[in-house]
Amino acid sequence: MLRYALRRVLLMIPTFVGITFIAFLIMHLAPGDPVELYFHGGLAAGIQGASTERLADIQKAKEAERRRLGLDRPLPVQYAVWFERLVTLDLGESFKDNRPVWDKIRERLPVTITLNLVSIFLTYLIAIPLGIYSSVRAGSWPESLLTTSVFMLYSLPSFWVGTLILIYFCGGDYFLWFPPAGLHSLDYDPSWPLLRQLRDYSWHIAMPVVCETYAAFAALSRYMRSSMLENALQDYVRTARAKGLPERVVILKHILRNSLIPMVTMLADLLPSLIGGSVIIETIFSIPGIGQLGYQAVLARDYPVVLGLFAISSALTLVGILLADLLLAVVDPRISFGRAEQ
Amino acid sequence: MLATLVGLCLLTECSNREPSAPPAEEPESTREVAGPPVRGDWLVQWMLADPQSLNPLTSTDAASAELQGWVLSSLTTLDPQTLEQRPVIATELPQVAPDHLTYTFRIRNDATFSDGKPLTAADVLFSIKAIKDPEVNAPSLRNYYLSVADARAVDDSTVEFRCSEPYFRNDVILGGISILAKHFYDPHGELDGVSVADLNRWDTLAPDKKQRALRFAQSFNRDFHRKILGSGAYDLADPDRDLITGERIVLRHRNDFWAPGDVMRGDGYVDRLLFRVINNPDAALIALKAGTLDIMGLLPLQHLKQTDTPGFRKRFAKQIAFTPSYTYIGWNELRPMFRETAVRQALSHLVDRDRIISKVLFGYGEKIDSPVYRFSPEYDADLKSYTFDPERAKKQLDDAGWTDHDGDGIRDKVVDGVRTPLGFEIISNSGNTTRKNIGLIVIDEMRRAGIDATFREVDWSIMLEKVEKFDYDAVILGWQFSPADPDLYQVWHSSQAVPGGGNMVAFKNAAADEILVDYRREFDKDKRIALYRRLQEIILEEAPYTFLYMPKSITAFDRRFRDTKWYPTGGPRLSEWWVPRAAQKYGM
Repeated sequence: MLRYALRRVLLMIPTFVGITFIAFLIMHLAPGDPVELYFHGGLAAGIQGASTERLADIQKAKEAERRRLGLDRPLPVQYAVWFERLVTLDLGESFKDNRPVWDKIRERLPVTITLNLVSIFLTYLIAIPLGIYSSVRAGSWPESLLTTSVFMLYSLPSFWVGTLILIYFCGGDYFLWFPPAGLHSLDYDPSWPLLRQLRDYSWHIAMPVVCETYAAFAALSRYMRSSMLENALQDYVRTARAKGLPERVVILKHILRNSLIPMVTMLADLLPSLIGGSVIIETIFSIPGIGQLGYQAVLARDYPVVLGLFAISSALTLVGILLADLLLAVVDPRISFGRAEQ
Repeated sequence: MLATLVGLCLLTECSNREPSAPPAEEPESTREVAGPPVRGDWLVQWMLADPQSLNPLTSTDAASAELQGWVLSSLTTLDPQTLEQRPVIATELPQVAPDHLTYTFRIRNDATFSDGKPLTAADVLFSIKAIKDPEVNAPSLRNYYLSVADARAVDDSTVEFRCSEPYFRNDVILGGISILAKHFYDPHGELDGVSVADLNRWDTLAPDKKQRALRFAQSFNRDFHRKILGSGAYDLADPDRDLITGERIVLRHRNDFWAPGDVMRGDGYVDRLLFRVINNPDAALIALKAGTLDIMGLLPLQHLKQTDTPGFRKRFAKQIAFTPSYTYIGWNELRPMFRETAVRQALSHLVDRDRIISKVLFGYGEKIDSPVYRFSPEYDADLKSYTFDPERAKKQLDDAGWTDHDGDGIRDKVVDGVRTPLGFEIISNSGNTTRKNIGLIVIDEMRRAGIDATFREVDWSIMLEKVEKFDYDAVILGWQFSPADPDLYQVWHSSQAVPGGGNMVAFKNAAADEILVDYRREFDKDKRIALYRRLQEIILEEAPYTFLYMPKSITAFDRRFRDTKWYPTGGPRLSEWWVPRAAQKYGM
């Protein structure tokens, strides 16, 4: 087991290098140049009337800027430099404002993690009982109704639902039940008592959480349902029933526990999705999260920020997969990687 | 002259009038003015994106400039009404030596930074040095100050600048330097031993001075993204409390501001300026309706369809005004088919600007024929427009030899020994639906005239590269007008028709070149006006651009504000807005 884990960890290194190098290449080979954008951002606003008799100076300034950012070197060298800094956990500085990439990510992490934690928790909290219910009552008309409505929710695009919520429930011409944007009230003050801060915050994230959650029920509850149904046909269930255990105990203790094992594999997705922000929802509700940061960085060709985010999420994905595999062996004694190798 | 122009300048109206109702009408909210202005209340504004950085020199975006404008002050500033310079930190406009190279500013001795420290000539001197330091990451800004040869503090309240060449806008450029607090931005005094002249001869500079300038630049580039200190009426004393990324920035009024009640010097009446970051216009409109924004620019559709209710009009006033910018189609003259003036003129006759304005802009735009702002005195009001006239265009093309020789339905002509069809691609930046719709209308009309025109949207950064390298046929783009003292050299002089220059259509005209150069060295305003009138005629005749329109902006704002006047610069001066005590919405 230990040897297996070690081998997997070592294998992660070349995989990680491969993933980030490909991402690095795609980003640099795509058209668009951060230095040109920086110097000609003015063309958008149309700066006019400056004295620019000495265009050579601009050209020189552009070259100096390229040198400063390290963009004048061959791509493999640039990648090596980036990776070297990464090894010391240094993600470099943003092209846009020279701030350390890690600072920019860190200030947005709490928002995204909170939002994701709450919505993942809610998803599991609702989807698992739904799955149990629909497996126990499989085929009955309430179950069909439930399944249909869960799938309908699943098919509603979140940008549409988000916009409807914004128009109808967040002021505008209808009800002002929830705030239309941001995470804090206008008069928010960090010196407020904790309870008041918490209430203000929950009021603000309520609708974004709803948007992130509603579509996830379908997949998870279906997963749960089929796993339960599969286990319900096993011999040990018949045995349990035969020895006269109450139905409650059979379902909740015997079937449910074993049905949860495949759910462990879902953990692989959980880690990266904790920090992955939804661009759509963050944009609709103006939430300063990771999704927004990444999206804006791509538009601005802010390579260090894009790569930094990419490195973190690919590392978390790799760790998540590893953890899920190891956990599977822990919760299910029938699985043993160590032995398989011998 | 100016006074009459200013009267005409704005097409203003209230929300319940037809958009074309002419001219200046005060919005309703200002009619019931009650007494002299009082302090208090907040003004909540909308920001589409976070300011890039609070660093006054290295940031380049509009949001950063907006914030810094409240916190920092400069020697002089533009009077939005008269479009002339007015002193701010300076006691009066600068004294100019007869050779037009030396400018002397006397500065007020009562001005202070928001930490209470006095503002002296040393701070002004430091500010120009920070700009001139080649290691400071502000190449675009530095470009404006290339001609500053040296500067010195004569005494505590006098600064003298020397320029290397006479230029009529030197005073504006020097007066516009944002004054940075030396003790805050350069606490170790790294730049003390380095002069502006030193920074100008960087390549031969002594290593120890170079080291100091480098050390200063490194910390300056790095340490001032989230803090700022200035001498303006508002400050950001506690960034941890008042600067929340992606959400808001709060600027608070300084109790100890050195020119209380002086709006021209930057004082304002509201206690707090709150900027909310909302990155989509639909959510911003909902936030406005929910009462959590006080002022917001509306899109034409939002104006016509989403805010035309009695409830909205009761709470918000709307102002419609020209914005000092214009949109045009540029014809790349390095392309063989656009080399002839007749072709460019014909193409201009094929653009139906009335249709563009009514269908794409819903009427919120005005035709233009010149690169000079309509309300500045240099504007030539007698210019003849290119009317929409397909028949005339076709005749002009026929006369120039562009007829369909090979019978494929497309006009062609032998240029440089090669049979060239009259076909081209108009590009524009993707995501800009206005420009896309313009492009589609334009190519539709061109195709009917036997021209193989196509339209394509490309990503902004890619479009910049193409335009910069002259690797395009035609482009739909916009420029901003300078409301006062335009200098069109960068856009129209032939020397700027190089990769990276502002003359992206490669317009080359000897007469225009001469005017552009003379104009910059002419210190008599009337003579300058005469020169630019002539220039506008040349540009119109040569048709390097097809000038399209100047857009009108629509702004909705809460009716509790008073003295909400719009200026020839295209917008209000928010510092003079105030709220009667009874109507105040927020406390301290």
